[in-house]
Order: sequence, then structure tokens, then C-alpha cells
Amino acid sequence: MKKALSIAVLVAVLIAAPLGLKNYGIYLLTLWCVYVMAGMGLNLTVGYAGQMSIGHAAFLGIGAYTAALLLKAGFAFWLAAPAAALLCFVVGLAIGFPALRVQHHYLAFATLGFNVLMFLAFRNEEWLTGGTFGISGIPRPKLFAYPMESSLGFYYFVLASTGLLALVLWWIIRSPWGRAFAALRDNPIRAESLAINITAYTLLAFAIGAAFAGVAGAYFSALVQFIEPAPFNLTASLMLLLMVIVGGSGRFFGPMLGAAIVLLLPEWLRFLKDWYLVMFGFAIVALMIWLPGGLLSIPQRLRFSR
Amino acid sequence: MDGVSFSVAPGEIVGVIGPNGSGKTTLFNSILGQIRPTSGEMRFLAEDITGMTALALSRRGIGRTFQTLQVFGSLSVRDNLIVAGQEFRGSLPGRLLAAPDAGLGERADELIELFNLKRVAHLPAGSLSYGQQKLVDIAMAFVSRPRLVLLDEPCAGVNPALVDELRELLLKLNRAQGGSFVVIEHNMEFIMRLCTRVVCMVEGRVLAEGRPEEVQANAAVLEAYLGS
Repeated sequence: MKKALSIAVLVAVLIAAPLGLKNYGIYLLTLWCVYVMAGMGLNLTVGYAGQMSIGHAAFLGIGAYTAALLLKAGFAFWLAAPAAALLCFVVGLAIGFPALRVQHHYLAFATLGFNVLMFLAFRNEEWLTGGTFGISGIPRPKLFAYPMESSLGFYYFVLASTGLLALVLWWIIRSPWGRAFAALRDNPIRAESLAINITAYTLLAFAIGAAFAGVAGAYFSALVQFIEPAPFNLTASLMLLLMVIVGGSGRFFGPMLGAAIVLLLPEWLRFLKDWYLVMFGFAIVALMIWLPGGLLSIPQRLRFSR
Repeated sequence: MDGVSFSVAPGEIVGVIGPNGSGKTTLFNSILGQIRPTSGEMRFLAEDITGMTALALSRRGIGRTFQTLQVFGSLSVRDNLIVAGQEFRGSLPGRLLAAPDAGLGERADELIELFNLKRVAHLPAGSLSYGQQKLVDIAMAFVSRPRLVLLDEPCAGVNPALVDELRELLLKLNRAQGGSFVVIEHNMEFIMRLCTRVVCMVEGRVLAEGRPEEVQANAAVLEAYLGS
């Protein structure tokens, strides 16, 4: 009951949030939704299934470019977004294979290498991606007479989509799959002795996480209407990982809180001018030292310290 | 190991004893496919299972516990039990659409009741005391009603009061489910009162085999292991 009430309040806040905001504010809120989609996927891979990944922005990029190319070619968004998800799912499966052999920081480097590789592909394969000039004039989705071109209308569309994706994640987490992912994270050796196919679940953890990022990429394309390689570089992957960890890795609402902080804190700290990045950095370091479980672990910490 | 050969009948509880380094754990590791023997074979229900992976063995109905605690610390006790049995039901895609408890809620509650874990059923397994975690650990091996369970030192680190409780639990499970158990253990009283047959290993060979009291009285066993 308490949970349902908190979710209702959260939804109400998100619906009311853009009212009275200028275009840039609404753009930030929409961008937050996009990062929440990608963050939820990464949370599944890293938080729930315990597989390290520092290459998630590469999937965001694959999704964004796939959708951009299809939308530019005249395909509908309703086809472009699932295609982006599917392609990322398949690439995610392939990226899961190193995870069957290496773990922790070795796996981090394997995924990091993948990100660098994809970034180079986005930048250098001009015939496909437009190189550093990118792809511009990406059309917004069309839904009958719905006002997609207005920033407010598009925000509500992306918000609803994020909600839908959150439901999908919730379904996965509460199904037996969710429990198997946790078993894989907590103790893969014991898991295997209980007939849990750790190969299949490891690959699935990467593939589903990647598919979420693919969908996020499609929405990113439609939001900014111009894509180039920079938003999909290694720094972007680290930001995505930061969102998951700051909010609370392996906690359902972790990426939502984390994305808000990583995206909005620099905006709020703007009054500090040149010092804002320094303050931001300090805040993150402090958080990692005193709250390694993320901000959503605060209630639990308070309960145990009592 | 050299020339080790023994069989386990359905429903039987076989104890494996012997001094440290006598090859007990190597025996388990060979059965469980972690070590491939240079010669010889392991058969389970007439099938050659030599060198099979842990996953393949578990699917065939061979369960195990480990010498050290191996629970899923972040999951609740109830979820530990459900996850221990869920993969034996339905297909992988089917489990995505299955009920959250995979239809194992009742089975989990039954074991929670039997192992006296009701009070802690909803707590994360990692937050329990060592003894309680040990009970969860052992209960997990029985959720899927395996036909053979290998227990590697179930009494290690368990306080004496719990040792008796554990023995009763295993006997109850054996009667109720009818599976066969192979138990490695140093606690002689536990082994003698639990097992129907005992195998004593020394330096990689079977030194003696028979009913518990026979092995206990065997002069060679007394000299090599029990005498001290």
C-alpha cells in the first residue's frame, strides 16, 4: 500500500514537473527519461545479474543510429524502435560471451574495449553514420494527431514509454528469471549445482540490458533529432554506470534517482561556474565512500544503525 | 584415488570417512565432474556420467552441498529455496511468464517448516546466523527432490545441539523423499547414527566398507583413522 502510494506520487510529480518549465527544462526532463530507460537496462546487467559493464553507451549508440537511419529512410518509429532493440539484443548476446570467461575488472575492460570500438565505428564509417557530422533532420514519431513536435507533448510520450519499459523490467525482476539473475550474481557455483543455466542467464543479462539501451537510443534520436558519435563515448558509459551506482545498484528505482542526480546536479551547481565539476566530483567521491549502496540504501542503513 | 569402487542403492545413506587428505573430497569432485579421473567411470541410473558438468548432473537429479556456506546472501530464505527448485520446472522462456514463485511456494514453505526457519523466512539469507544459513544451505539441496544428494561435511562449523537436529532432519528427508545420500563427515557420532553404510578411505583407497558398527570395529580403520 505504501509502495503503491509512493509510485502514484512519483507519477503525479513527473506529470506535473514540466508545467511552467521552459523548453530547455522540458528537454532535460525528456533526456532524463531516455537515460532512465538505458539505466534500467544497465541496472539489470550490473545491479541484478552482477555482470560488470563499462560499454553501455555503445548500445545506446547502436540503438540511436539504427533508429536514425530507419527513420530517415522513411520507416515508422514503431518499427525503428523495436529494430533498434532487437539489434542491440543480438549484439548484447555476443558481448555476453566474454563474461562467460572473465569477471569483474577483466570483464570491465572487455566491455570498455567494445565501447571504444563502436565509438570508432560511429566516427569513421562516414558512409553509414555520417562520421563527425552525424545524422541530422531525424523526424519525430507520428501518432495520429498527437502533438509530438511540441516539447511538452513529446515529453509525455517519452514518459509513458519509460513507464511501459519500467513495467517490463518489473515483470522480469519478479519472475523466476529475476531470482535466477540474483543467484548468478550472489553465487554462480552454487547456482549451477541447482540446475541454473548460468551461461544462458549471463547472456540474457547482457542482451536484455542492451535491448533497453537500444530502445533508449531510438528515443534519443527522436528527441535530439541530430546524432553524432560524442554522446556514445566511454565517458557516456561511465555516466550511465554512475547513474546506476549513485541511485542504488540492484534497486528498482536506483537508475531513476541516479539519472536525476547525474543529469540535474550539474545544472543546479551552475552557479558555482568553473567550480561546478569539482563540486560534482567531490559529491560523487563522498557518496561512494559513505554510501556504496547508493542513495536508495539510506533507509536500510538507518534501520540497521538503530 | 586408486581402485576406489562402491555403489549406492536407492534410499541408502552412505557415509564416507577417513583422515584429511585421504581422497574424500577428490571422490566428490570426481563424481561432480570437477576432476576428470584418468581411468574408471561413474554411473548414475545406468548412465555414464563421468566428467559431466555441474549443470548436467543437477538436471539428472544429483544434488549437492558444499563444505563452506553457499547461500544466495541477498535473497530471502524463501527465495533461496524457490530458486533452488525453479529451474527444474518448465522451459527457460516459460519461466519468464511463470508465476513469480514458479509454483514452488508451497514446497518452499514445507521445507521452511521442516527446517524450523519460519521466523527468518523473509530475511535475506546473508543476514542470518551461521547455523541458520547452514540449514538454508542444506534445505536448498532438497527442494527439487533429487535422487542422489552429496553432502560435504554438513556438520562443519555447526554447534553440537544443531548436529543432532541436522541428523534428524536428514533422516526425515530420507524417509519422506526416498533419495540416496552420500555424506562426507568427520563427526563420527553423526555418521554412525545417520548412515546405513560407511566407507572408510585412507590414502586414496577404500580401507573398509560395511555397516557403521563393523567399520567402527575394524582394526585397520582404528589404526589408520579412529584410533587417535
